[in-house]
Amino acid sequence: MTDLLPLASFGGAIEFIFSEQTSNVTGGKKVGGFEQAVELTLKQLEVTVLALALALVIALPLGLYLGHKGKGEFILVGLANGGRAIPELAVIALVAALIGVGLVTVTPALAILGIPPILTNAFVGVRQVDRATVDAARGMGMSEMEIIRKVELPLAVPTVMGGIRGATIAIVATATIAPLAGVVTLGDYIINASIYGDNGRLAGAILVALLALTLEGLLALLQRRLTSDGLKVKTA
Amino acid sequence: MNSPFPLAAAGEVGGDFFKERTSDTLPCQAKPNEPFCFDWAKENIDRFGTPTVQHLELVLISLVIGFAVAFALALFAHRRKWLQPPLLGATGVLYTIPSIAFFFLLLPVTGIGKDTAIIALAAYTLQIIYRNTMLGLDNVPSSAKEAARGMGYTDRQILWRVELPLATPEIIAGLRIAVVSTIAIATLAVFIGGGGLGTQIYGGGNLTFPTSIFIALGIVLLMALLFDLVLLTVQRLTTPWRKTRPT
Amino acid sequence: MSDQPAASSVRYEETTKVYPGSAEPAVDHLSLEVPAGEICVLVGPSGCGKTTAMRMVNRTVEITSGDVLIGDSSVRDREPAQLRREIGYVIQQIGLFPHRTISENIGAVPQLLGWKKERTRERAAELLELIGLDPELGDRYPAQLSGGQQQRVGVARALAADPLVMLMDEPFGAIDPINRERLQNEFLRLQAEIRKTVLFVTHDIDEAIKMGDRIAVMREGGRVEQYATPAELLMAPANEFVEDFVGADRALKRLALMRVRDINLWEAPLAHVGQATAEVRAKLASPDVEVPYPLLVDSERRPLGWLSERDLAAETVPQRPDSPLGPVLELDDVMRDALADLLQGEAQYAPVVDHRRRIVGVLSVEIISEFLKSPEAKSDEHPAVERPHE
Repeated sequence: MTDLLPLASFGGAIEFIFSEQTSNVTGGKKVGGFEQAVELTLKQLEVTVLALALALVIALPLGLYLGHKGKGEFILVGLANGGRAIPELAVIALVAALIGVGLVTVTPALAILGIPPILTNAFVGVRQVDRATVDAARGMGMSEMEIIRKVELPLAVPTVMGGIRGATIAIVATATIAPLAGVVTLGDYIINASIYGDNGRLAGAILVALLALTLEGLLALLQRRLTSDGLKVKTA
Repeated sequence: MNSPFPLAAAGEVGGDFFKERTSDTLPCQAKPNEPFCFDWAKENIDRFGTPTVQHLELVLISLVIGFAVAFALALFAHRRKWLQPPLLGATGVLYTIPSIAFFFLLLPVTGIGKDTAIIALAAYTLQIIYRNTMLGLDNVPSSAKEAARGMGYTDRQILWRVELPLATPEIIAGLRIAVVSTIAIATLAVFIGGGGLGTQIYGGGNLTFPTSIFIALGIVLLMALLFDLVLLTVQRLTTPWRKTRPT
Repeated sequence: MSDQPAASSVRYEETTKVYPGSAEPAVDHLSLEVPAGEICVLVGPSGCGKTTAMRMVNRTVEITSGDVLIGDSSVRDREPAQLRREIGYVIQQIGLFPHRTISENIGAVPQLLGWKKERTRERAAELLELIGLDPELGDRYPAQLSGGQQQRVGVARALAADPLVMLMDEPFGAIDPINRERLQNEFLRLQAEIRKTVLFVTHDIDEAIKMGDRIAVMREGGRVEQYATPAELLMAPANEFVEDFVGADRALKRLALMRVRDINLWEAPLAHVGQATAEVRAKLASPDVEVPYPLLVDSERRPLGWLSERDLAAETVPQRPDSPLGPVLELDDVMRDALADLLQGEAQYAPVVDHRRRIVGVLSVEIISEFLKSPEAKSDEHPAVERPHE
């Protein structure tokens, strides 16, 4: 346990983010500074967004469709549990070792981690829509696609968004250790503290946390926007 | 290799990773691309013993702490509705922050080692356990509560003899999720010097090699499966009334 | 059956309930006395305060001013939880504990009171029998029982600790009409044995008339417009509100106050299997025959069916009568239900049997309508249903 005042460390970390410094570890090389921070942040965003998009494209339609049909519940539950059990470190490590490094290989790996929550929540979200409501819609003459679009999807928004947010958290977390597989994100500050020093390491942690919280906050706002007012009303 | 990064290509970030490696002349376990080397596995399986025990220790202690705190919070917030959104938000923040970052945010305060890992892992479980406990309590049929009150149960008796037993399935469901997630995330403890199976995936500043990674992965998955089944059994045993159908 | 401790009377003294933020009291200075051992029904339209009034007795609604006395002691002198353990409480949604067996549900209050396990178990078994359920059901869970069975368990649970007073809030409201009738009858039978003081809330005037020894007709604010026996209510409603609430069909409602045994039944000529049909025809020809159809009975005088002309064409009475039995009534049936069965079964005559299914007489719609026209029916005194009076 260190006796140093934590505040002093945080001060040092903030300084690291904003001004380039001479690294006291790797012999005088320049590290830190705003530009570098931005570059790494953008990289993390890039891989996160790409992986999330890929996961969405695959998992969302599939989940909604299966939920609409009511098939595959058993597999999906197993998938959700299994997905949670996979350690992201092993995924990154295996991708790096066996498949290759770089954005092209890492993005799909991250997407795979994001698929289970999106898939399962899309399924459950549609499934838990009141059958009576769907029946009424069908009886009114809506086509299957219309039912999905106008009835099931709006009512499933909270659950589906929950899945997307969960996937994002998982992907951002894994993207943090993506430097191990050649995608140099903010996690580099943490993993390669030998270069960046203690201040850099703490700075990395702060920035990663902020990034994750910001993304989560944005998605929460998005969810609020997309949720119809009728669902937000609290029953007396 | 071509890097999209100016800094990385200049060798200024990324550590040793981008250094060259050749593999043709090395024995199988050392070849970075060899998927699984059975010989090495057979010979070296014991080196996974201690990491596994460490891993278990991390997981169990974190869960006990996480559960105790989250459960207490849920009970406290149960009758104080105004507390519920802030608590949900606070535990949510702890859940959102990637664990590896959390380790190093704690570092200035708690230092290197498994204690930091445990605190971070426990914090991660808070939201799921808190939320599921609240959910379980909310789903208790109000007619049972009303009848209990009218029959002469005190508020505390209603909580412990009616509400919590009926909330058990939800609580255990949350616990199962928390357990499986924690077992996976505990692999990251290696970064903060907390030991665990992560050491066999990333040891000494470098990724190890596929065979070792696969074995560690296998143990993690197996552990998760076992714990999940145990909790499922516990759930079945503590809720005998759920199996029944109207006769 | 154990020795009955005296059930307690319940008295409201200027009992008032005002909810915070409300201009009008929910219950305004209610004063009412329920004698021990009687069923008092609080009836009125939705929102009149009847449930609030009932719940002030066990303080699940707190009294704003005034008092409620059980026996001689005020309910305000007791700790609410303690008080409630001495009062039986039955609610509409029943509220059985899903996670406890039926026995454990019934034994809930005894357990709270600290009874020994053995005694609780015995008591639960005793009550299961009392409410007419198979003792084996004690080990099942509520989800495995039907709605009617669950409701009975709810009543048993309320009786478990032998309370002085029972509060019942629309207890049969969630049950289908057929089972509701059965449950009402069974509760009345039970009450005849155990004689508890019961406060019964309902919005259904028919149920009130059937169940109550006394009925309090209420309107908003818990104001009692009339507090009287069912007969008085039907024959002399205090004002227009009560009259409207009771309904225009008061005469028919009075039939709810009578049982089949209260009326003089007619006799049908009886026939046995294998009897010579000549004998039967002779009986039919008799001038003072009241029912012109022979009733086939077995050796125990239990009715089997009605005989037709075709049946009598044979030498001996056949085993299978031509006409089915139709509705069979019992002496204890409430008259209004008997009339309904007759009309439902489109039967002109229905055999009336005793508790061993032996023929006692025959009832017809004609008999009933004649009775309603008779001077006997119009007087204040008329044979009342057997219900516990002091």
